[in-house]
Amino acid sequence: MRLRQRIIDFLFAPEPDAWLTLLRLGLGLQIIFYALSFRHDWNIVFAAEGSPFVSRDLTEAIGKIDNPLGPQIGWFIVLGSHLGLSEQMTLSILWLLLLGAGGALVLGFFCRSSAVIAWLLHLCAAQSGDFFAYGVDNLMTIGLFYLAIAPLPDRYALDAKLWRLKRIDPARLGFHRRVLQLHLCLIYFFSGLTKCLGAGWWNGASIWRALTRPPFDIIPIEVLASWKILFPVVGIAVCLFETAYPVFIWPRTTRLVWLAAILAMHMAIGLSMGLFLFASIMFVLNVAPFGPRSAIVARQHTPAEFWPTATAASLF
Amino acid sequence: MLFHFALIVGISAQQTFWIVAQGYTSLPHSIDPFSRKAADALTIALGQNLGLSNPARQSLTGYLHSAGIEGGYGFFAPNVPSSYKLVFELHYPDGHVEYDLPHVSGTATGLRLVSLLDRIGRTQYEPLREVMLIMLAYSAWQEHAGAATVRAVFGYVDVPSLSELKEGKKESYNFLYAYDFTFPSSSNAPPR
Repeated sequence: MRLRQRIIDFLFAPEPDAWLTLLRLGLGLQIIFYALSFRHDWNIVFAAEGSPFVSRDLTEAIGKIDNPLGPQIGWFIVLGSHLGLSEQMTLSILWLLLLGAGGALVLGFFCRSSAVIAWLLHLCAAQSGDFFAYGVDNLMTIGLFYLAIAPLPDRYALDAKLWRLKRIDPARLGFHRRVLQLHLCLIYFFSGLTKCLGAGWWNGASIWRALTRPPFDIIPIEVLASWKILFPVVGIAVCLFETAYPVFIWPRTTRLVWLAAILAMHMAIGLSMGLFLFASIMFVLNVAPFGPRSAIVARQHTPAEFWPTATAASLF
Repeated sequence: MLFHFALIVGISAQQTFWIVAQGYTSLPHSIDPFSRKAADALTIALGQNLGLSNPARQSLTGYLHSAGIEGGYGFFAPNVPSSYKLVFELHYPDGHVEYDLPHVSGTATGLRLVSLLDRIGRTQYEPLREVMLIMLAYSAWQEHAGAATVRAVFGYVDVPSLSELKEGKKESYNFLYAYDFTFPSSSNAPPR
């Protein structure tokens, strides 16, 4: 019974909505950057014919085999054709809607609808472009899914000023934050664990390969060669920071250090490999649930609290 | 919530066991059979062995994709793979040959092209690989419509290791597959 109560206390710890503001703002900006990064290629990439990639029809047909219920860009193309809109016109409208949803999220205007539209359109793009999707799409879907079901709007949203909505239950806000925190812990744990299983991450070979692999070879190979002594250290540090994230991100004494280390890692990935969208989504997903406020303000509930005291003491 | 997190843990664990079972890790191969059994057990537990038309599987897959939890999180793990490269050889009726690469206008979209090449490289089903390449080749041919045939040469880039770099080894391109495509010059439609 005590354990059950502790779990409930942990999951529903009351929380102000500052984290939700950060998540909404961060994902809104992320959607804007995502849409802008696609601005020249959106219409041709998602065209049924004439795409420089693989045709959307083929990607969607293969996607439907495994996930027949998954939303696709093709749904909107069919809808648009019933309304007399050409494929290109419908694609342009979808792009503008996505950009608009990102802007609305930043402002906090029609938060819930904007979050759902952003999630749905991004999901459609990820499903219809599955052949050329990468990690950033997966992580954006995760963030937008949690935002779409979060207790919006937060107090800093335009909605809260315009419609004078009643305050959200802090326990509900705390629960949604916990879910995102726990999910992030699982992401880093499994990412770190899988890296630990490869010899290349212990001797620095994987760092070398990641930085010299086209098109991520932004830094000249001669410059990288002069840093060779750092690679094993960096490789082991990545394994350590990721695998131990679920342990060290919770105690108040280590949270800020671990968060700073993880953010530094993502910044380095963004700058040295050109993966800016990936770096920015990881910033948002880390800073919103584990951000500076929660690192500084003493937390009352950590996972250690529902473990036996001796175990918790030995861990922390 | 329990169900949601059970799915996240189940899928991540299943993919980790699968990686071990494939022998991609530095763990002893004696544990490969155990990992295979564990991955298979999780595949069954996650309903991924049910028929594709099974409504339970379809609903679950739909949920997994909607929440972004359909795959594991082993980015660049356990090892960083080689990158693939696609080169088009455009053969003209007068005998001269030009070379081209697939290209897009934005840098961010260029990263997606890399994902597509990785996907082609991982595709074991040969007809699907050919269809994907014919679409890319057709796109290249449209920019060089005078070409009689397009040869799509697919390979991977071998980047030298640190010690190989010291010995003077340079980046090399290794051949995997080549396909010849002929497009009808009188038609704008891609060949089926």
